[in-house]
Amino acid sequence: MTARVNELADNTTVLKYALVAPAVFVILLIGLYPFVQLALTSVQNVTMFGADNSFHGAVHYERLLGDERLWSALWNTIWFTAVALPIELVLGYLLALLFLQPLPLRRTLIAIILLPTVISPIVAGATWRLMLDQRFGPVNQLIGWIIGRDVEILWTINPSLVWPAVLVAEVWQWTPFMFLILLAALSNVDREQLEAAEVDGAGAWTVFRKVVLPAIMPVVVIAVLIRGLDLFRVFDVIWTMTQGGPGTRTETISIYAYQMAFREFEISYSAAIAFLVIVLLTIAVLVALRRVEIAR
Amino acid sequence: MSYNKPVRRGLAAGIAAAMALWPAAAGAQSAADIAVEAAKEYSGITLNVLYEAGLQPLDPKNFTGPLWEELTGIKINVIEAPVDQMFTRTMQAHLADSGAYDVLNVIPNQMPDLALAGALEPLDAYVEKFGFSAELDMIAPVYRDNQMRVEGTIYGLPDDGDVLILYYRRDLFEDPENQAEFMDKHGYALAPPTNWEQFSDIGQFITDKYAPEIYGAGMLRQPGNAQYLFQERFRVEGGKFFDEQTMKATINSDVGVAVFQAMLAENDFMPPGVEQWGFIEAFNAFLAGDIAMTISWPPVGRWAAGYGRGTEALNWIPETTVADTIGYALPPGGRPELAVGYSLSVASGSRNKEAAYLFAQWMNSEEISLQRVQLPYALRDPFRTSHFESEEYRSRWPNAGDYLDTLKAGAETGLLDLSLIQTDRYEEGIRQALSRLWGGEDPQTILDDLAAQWDELTERIGVDKQKRAYLDWSNKPNAYPN
Amino acid sequence: MRRWENGWRLALRLVLALVAVGFFAFPIYWLAAISIKSPEEIFAYPPVWIPSGINLSGYVALFRNGDVWAVWNSLVTASVSTVLAMILGTLAAYGIVRYRPGGENLTIWIISQRMIPPICVAFPIFLLFVSLGLVDTFVGLIVLYTAFNLPYVIWMMRGYIQDIPPELEQSALVDGLSRWAVITKVVIPMARGGFFATAVFTFIFAWNDFLFALVLTRSEVVTYPVQVTGYFGSQSTFWSQIGAMSMLGVLPMMLVVATMQRFIVRGMSMGAVKG
Repeated sequence: MTARVNELADNTTVLKYALVAPAVFVILLIGLYPFVQLALTSVQNVTMFGADNSFHGAVHYERLLGDERLWSALWNTIWFTAVALPIELVLGYLLALLFLQPLPLRRTLIAIILLPTVISPIVAGATWRLMLDQRFGPVNQLIGWIIGRDVEILWTINPSLVWPAVLVAEVWQWTPFMFLILLAALSNVDREQLEAAEVDGAGAWTVFRKVVLPAIMPVVVIAVLIRGLDLFRVFDVIWTMTQGGPGTRTETISIYAYQMAFREFEISYSAAIAFLVIVLLTIAVLVALRRVEIAR
Repeated sequence: MSYNKPVRRGLAAGIAAAMALWPAAAGAQSAADIAVEAAKEYSGITLNVLYEAGLQPLDPKNFTGPLWEELTGIKINVIEAPVDQMFTRTMQAHLADSGAYDVLNVIPNQMPDLALAGALEPLDAYVEKFGFSAELDMIAPVYRDNQMRVEGTIYGLPDDGDVLILYYRRDLFEDPENQAEFMDKHGYALAPPTNWEQFSDIGQFITDKYAPEIYGAGMLRQPGNAQYLFQERFRVEGGKFFDEQTMKATINSDVGVAVFQAMLAENDFMPPGVEQWGFIEAFNAFLAGDIAMTISWPPVGRWAAGYGRGTEALNWIPETTVADTIGYALPPGGRPELAVGYSLSVASGSRNKEAAYLFAQWMNSEEISLQRVQLPYALRDPFRTSHFESEEYRSRWPNAGDYLDTLKAGAETGLLDLSLIQTDRYEEGIRQALSRLWGGEDPQTILDDLAAQWDELTERIGVDKQKRAYLDWSNKPNAYPN
Repeated sequence: MRRWENGWRLALRLVLALVAVGFFAFPIYWLAAISIKSPEEIFAYPPVWIPSGINLSGYVALFRNGDVWAVWNSLVTASVSTVLAMILGTLAAYGIVRYRPGGENLTIWIISQRMIPPICVAFPIFLLFVSLGLVDTFVGLIVLYTAFNLPYVIWMMRGYIQDIPPELEQSALVDGLSRWAVITKVVIPMARGGFFATAVFTFIFAWNDFLFALVLTRSEVVTYPVQVTGYFGSQSTFWSQIGAMSMLGVLPMMLVVATMQRFIVRGMSMGAVKG
């Protein structure tokens, strides 16, 4: 590939940077100041009651270490991401298989499946909360009809049901994203190769492993990366459904950070939290990217 | 601007009423007149007013805003935010010194935090300068004495008589058959409960007899709402939030545990899923005639009686089925929670502080506030002695007099929401504790955790500092029942 | 025999597809139904599945009190920022593919800008915007969304552009086209599918944003997700407005998705395969 690039490169170094410069400028415009500001405030002491801008060292970072609520929020976030991501991936893949071949009304049905992604997460959360409401929601009523008696299921209150409830809403909203990307990827898998493999008598699993997977892998990687990052910052859906409760059971790192920054205005401490999150994510993404490089 | 016809009529009536009052006040100029006269100097400016989103902003948008502009030439720009954003918005604007807001609606128990942070303008000098003291004094005592000052300085004009009172179905309570059966079973007359044992007796009695058509009660159980019921009950039963000497949390006392257990037990005679109920759910169940008792904010009492029916702003409310049968009483224990509420404040970062204050004084004055609390869609509840006694208000629906008398009684005995430094963090603890309670955890464990959480917080904020804030609050006449 | 079997398989697939569609569509249907239910039906117990009549008061209220502007604000901020991000991002991606400025480090730095949770930087950005006078302005939100979506655009477009044979460009250059003309006349048309697919999701990301809009708007450019939270009052819940607002928001998106589907489905993979 490098060779092809070189063929084209006219030696204008101006163009080399001019094309990238505007985008980098805009990213820096928004990205640079917050970064510096976070770094500074996290070693000062700024609260709603006043700003002490003198250097305080790592006091806030030390507090992070002992903050059980923070670590449990972080754990919740990782857990949530780790569970939701594969579900969305697998469901999206199965759906894509279902819609790969001709089907009556295919295009309309696909458009309908995509609707959840355009209804903002805040509305999605509120809608699911309503759907799962004991009094006003149809879900419990439906379950009641199926099993033949009225049920009382408190989805957003019962500690063992609250995660499933939140997961349903999240999976409902973002599986279509995976579905669309995988549908596109699958429809590009070389048909001749597939048929050749089948003619060779390869089993379904072998075909999948040898032909399909390599072809869709790059797409899967990008989709998983994008979705994984979005899941890690999940806020709106959970906030509207449970506000992080019961207790702090469904509290994610974004919810905790929101509480600290925008309700308690512990500016310095929340800056330290933000920094911790950024560092952890950087490590995770760098590791993931190395893997992508290998996968290529 | 023109939300609908009834409102425009209301505006016209408002102007007429304001005009009519002028001659009467000619001798001693009323606070409203003083404000208008003084504000004319600022004609042409725009004041940004922060209001809770929903129905609240309809008052400044449709009524007071246009009227004020007509009288003074000052434009009112209403900025809305959901209730849980009010504090955030105020503090955010203050920290960035953006001067985004001039007039603020402040929830009284958040006033110490905002005042301490310097977000609010001290108002004593303005009150003095514009002769508002006399009318300020005529605000119902409980609001006047508790929701106006932080450590002796005036930071807000109490502007909302929020109080959680009991609404019940008179038809069920007064039914002779029910009365006889209840007397047989419990040995006392069926009447609005005066303590929580009676509440349970009655609730269970009605549920046993009428469920699933009618349940004995349906209460506020969403943690954000239920925390107020807990705070009230905990104190009525003799609980204290903190030890006055050491500032150690005493929320996990036997009283706390007993109240938690009782609240949980009562859910048994309430409709399934009551744990999810907030204001809207309980209100609608009451309107539909599904529950015999509920404890909630004053709008329930008006709207369920049919007041405001047909107003476009209230067209989201289902038709009431209990208009003729609603009864009003103080909640068990007789010391209702003065939950949430609003005071009008001036942002310290405002570029037009005096004009902002004048608008607040004018809205809060005897004559204008009386009209505001009667706006059918308004969420401002009666808070002046004159509101409770207003003949006009008392004739709004058949038993409006009972309603106002109950609110007035509540305004004498009501209990304040806990208010400290970083109040929200302490309240958050209660909210989380309640959600764990509904989730089925052990009350003692939950409350021990809560106490530990509070102690840690107090420790971080500084025991002495917090103690001072706590004593400032607990020495207010309505912090604890005595 | 064979045909009969095929028929069965098709029927089975159709049934499965309809079940899936049902799952994804039902909550949307529920919102749509709410938007036309009467208040009694909205708060009815047990819940009402099919509205008995059409009550448009939620929609009327939105238009009457001007809340519908929130949908407009969302459309403007999301679409303008999408256009900007697509232009800047495509140019940058082209530059990265053909000239490799900064090598791998630049691309990694760029993707790292998308992984920061908004909540972590919302407050500093608010302070920045206050000092620049950008709070509650279209410009502010648009610049912000552009910046936050650029990494996504660059990464996706980079993949698509890598797919285009350089020979094509070269012959165009030989024909005397300028470098700019090559980009607009050759590169973008060639990557059209991927371009639209990326644009649609860029739009969706901006459209769905809640936290930034919550922190950075007050009244002038309040977006649809922020406006909706205002309907959950402490003493009121305007479900019919929530439903109506959601429908107004979904309709334009549905049209966009339906018409662009051809490009999306085809384009999504093209570049990403080589990504």
